[in-house]
Amino acid sequence: MTTYMLEDSDTSSGERAAGDRIRTVTSATFAALVTNGEGPIVVEFMSYGCAHCRVLEPIIQEVAKVLTSKVTIFRVNVGAERELAARFEIQGTPTLLMVLDGEEVGRAEGPRPTVAGIEAAITQSFG
Amino acid sequence: MTSIPQIRQPTRPILLFDDECGVCRHIAKWVLKSAQKGSGEPSIVERPIGNDPAALHLLNPDLDIWDAYETIHVVMPDGSMKLGGDAVGVVLQNLPNTKWFAWIFAIEVFGYRPFQTVLDVGYMILADVRPVLGCESCATPSVWVRPIERVIKWARTILGAAPPSRPSDHFTGLPAH
Repeated sequence: MTTYMLEDSDTSSGERAAGDRIRTVTSATFAALVTNGEGPIVVEFMSYGCAHCRVLEPIIQEVAKVLTSKVTIFRVNVGAERELAARFEIQGTPTLLMVLDGEEVGRAEGPRPTVAGIEAAITQSFG
Repeated sequence: MTSIPQIRQPTRPILLFDDECGVCRHIAKWVLKSAQKGSGEPSIVERPIGNDPAALHLLNPDLDIWDAYETIHVVMPDGSMKLGGDAVGVVLQNLPNTKWFAWIFAIEVFGYRPFQTVLDVGYMILADVRPVLGCESCATPSVWVRPIERVIKWARTILGAAPPSRPSDHFTGLPAH
């Protein structure tokens, strides 16, 4: 297939776009930021082609804003990080994984896209 | 020193397609085959939307990856973008086997493009029915498509075929790769 080629093209930097409150983690940064991360951490396994993830995106941005001092939220793009998705047995997107001290303490699969619902799912997992 | 990714100046329209959607992959395949029918280089360049928002920004700083998955985008050689029905019109105008009739989409009558409007509606219908045609990444179908989906499910059950795999209301299966 003819594709439009980028030169010198690894732009999968995991950096945040302007206004994005959620940092993208990759397999290279997952251990440092999530497994060895401090405090309650939420990892959203998502895909840009997933319509439900798009619906959830502004909601989770709002939740990140509300819970900014309590919880760190990261994003894993399963389209690019198949190995991470397999390692955590992610069955579909969006899935929220709640992690405390490197251990999974809860998950929400296909959560209802409301700020209250997501907040409740997160806070319940962390007690 | 980290080098800044450079991009070749496009000389042909670039069609961005959803590589997580079976219907879109099928259409993209047909477009590519058609684009190669003329002499020389294909008249359209295709590129899967992919997973990298930054790579799309290199094509056009206003190109948002969520929007790219939401509706069809064509990036023009001058850097502008065509969306939805307009993008379909551009593709048809550039394909050797469709450009003979695709000029009608540009016809204006008192500032109104009637044929383009028909194309816009056609595109909207196709986009809406993608979930029942085999789109793995699409959301719950629009209200008007749900009865069609139910009839297809019923027909498949009667015929003993496996039900089509489609995401539940709030949970989408992993994209097929």
